[in-house]
Amino acid sequence: MELTKNITLGVYLPGTSIIHHLDPRTKIIAAMVLIVLLLFSRSYTTYSLIFLFTAIIVLFSGIPPGYVVRGLKPMLPVLVIMWIFQLFLFKTPDTTILFEWWILEATEAGLHMANLITLRVLFLFTVTTLLTLTTSVVNLTDGLESLLKPLRMIGLPSQELVMTLVIALRFVLILAEELEKIVKAQMARGVAFDQGNFIQKTKKLFPVFLPLFIGAFKRAEELIVAMESRSYTGGKGRTKMKTLQMSRADLAAAVVIVTYSIILIYVIVTVEPVI
Amino acid sequence: MNLSVRKIVISGILGAITILLAVTRLGFIPVPTPAGHATIIHVPVILGGILEGPVVGLITGAIFGLFSFLQPGAPFFADPLVSILPRLFIGIVAYLVYFLTKKVDTVVAHTFEKPLLNIKKKMSPGIAGALSKFNGILPYLLGGAFGSATNTVFVLGMVTWRGYLPSEVSISIGVLHGVPELIVAAILTVILVKGIQRIRPTEDKA
Repeated sequence: MELTKNITLGVYLPGTSIIHHLDPRTKIIAAMVLIVLLLFSRSYTTYSLIFLFTAIIVLFSGIPPGYVVRGLKPMLPVLVIMWIFQLFLFKTPDTTILFEWWILEATEAGLHMANLITLRVLFLFTVTTLLTLTTSVVNLTDGLESLLKPLRMIGLPSQELVMTLVIALRFVLILAEELEKIVKAQMARGVAFDQGNFIQKTKKLFPVFLPLFIGAFKRAEELIVAMESRSYTGGKGRTKMKTLQMSRADLAAAVVIVTYSIILIYVIVTVEPVI
Repeated sequence: MNLSVRKIVISGILGAITILLAVTRLGFIPVPTPAGHATIIHVPVILGGILEGPVVGLITGAIFGLFSFLQPGAPFFADPLVSILPRLFIGIVAYLVYFLTKKVDTVVAHTFEKPLLNIKKKMSPGIAGALSKFNGILPYLLGGAFGSATNTVFVLGMVTWRGYLPSEVSISIGVLHGVPELIVAAILTVILVKGIQRIRPTEDKA
């Protein structure tokens, strides 16, 4: 069991494209706008527009399209199951029956619902994947911190919140090493983690979880003392080594996103939803 | 609102465990159902709520939600309303249930001190000894159970409300996955809280 080796935090694919060089704040806001628009999309016209736009982003990001599609592969079985469930189980009173099979009947409404839901999930997934593919974790947290800053005025400790996220990301690898030691120690004592039925398998997890949590809490106590003795007082007045800078490309991206959103909102409002 | 260093660090480290359990797939229990596996990734969130209070529970839940949104394990988690929003409540519910049960527990133990002692005297020492092991674990057990149930019910509720799965399917997943998740989470919560309390410098601030 090599636990630390297959840990990928975020699936960042380093690159030099325009999208990679955009300010993380621009990308986070753009992703959020796209997600909100997706949640309101209920016609095939809007989804074809969204497809067009995501395709353009992929093109500009320099990420091989095959790479994005491959990321969707593990989702496929669940997507198919979701589609079938909607097809047979979603019904409206005045709909035509497409075909019947045993006690199940597929309706036109069910077909549209199944298609829309699958498309929505597919594009939601693509948008978040594109964000994490083109933005490193460090940039994402920096961008998040900067975006949350105005919320300080209503009393939200934004920098402290981002600090917890940074601690979490930093400690994943440290704790992974510890976890690997625990698992190996247990295996050396003869525990076979991949054998037995699910109750036996679950029972074997308990002697792994307890030392993991206790070790983590010991580290937490040490870190608390370390931070307090260095008088950490949160984000107030704290400066950064690297400050985020908006460039001309960000302005262009903003114009593109705004124009696109206006078109999409117009389409969402005017085109009749299929269901 | 002010966040103490203690709250920041504990939420961060519990968040790290959440992410770790997800990426190593250690937090998934292979349950013999068609849908695959149950999850106990939310246990650190429950612990955060019970050990450090609702704020830590909320922040740990947010980290859990954010991570499952950015690296979705199932397609509908790409919807933030399914992946992030329900997870914010896990720690808060766990804390509330723990807090209330503990209050009731102490009040009951206090008022019925004498009759309880009499009953204990009549029992054989073996049974009394076994029972005393369960002393005071009820709040943790219920906190863990309700925290886990919050995850199951709210996530599947959002999945249904957003229209990703019909309600019949959600309910059957809820029963098939939710029940084993609830049992394992409740037992784990008790074991972990008891273990962690031994090494903590201050007893139970929550």
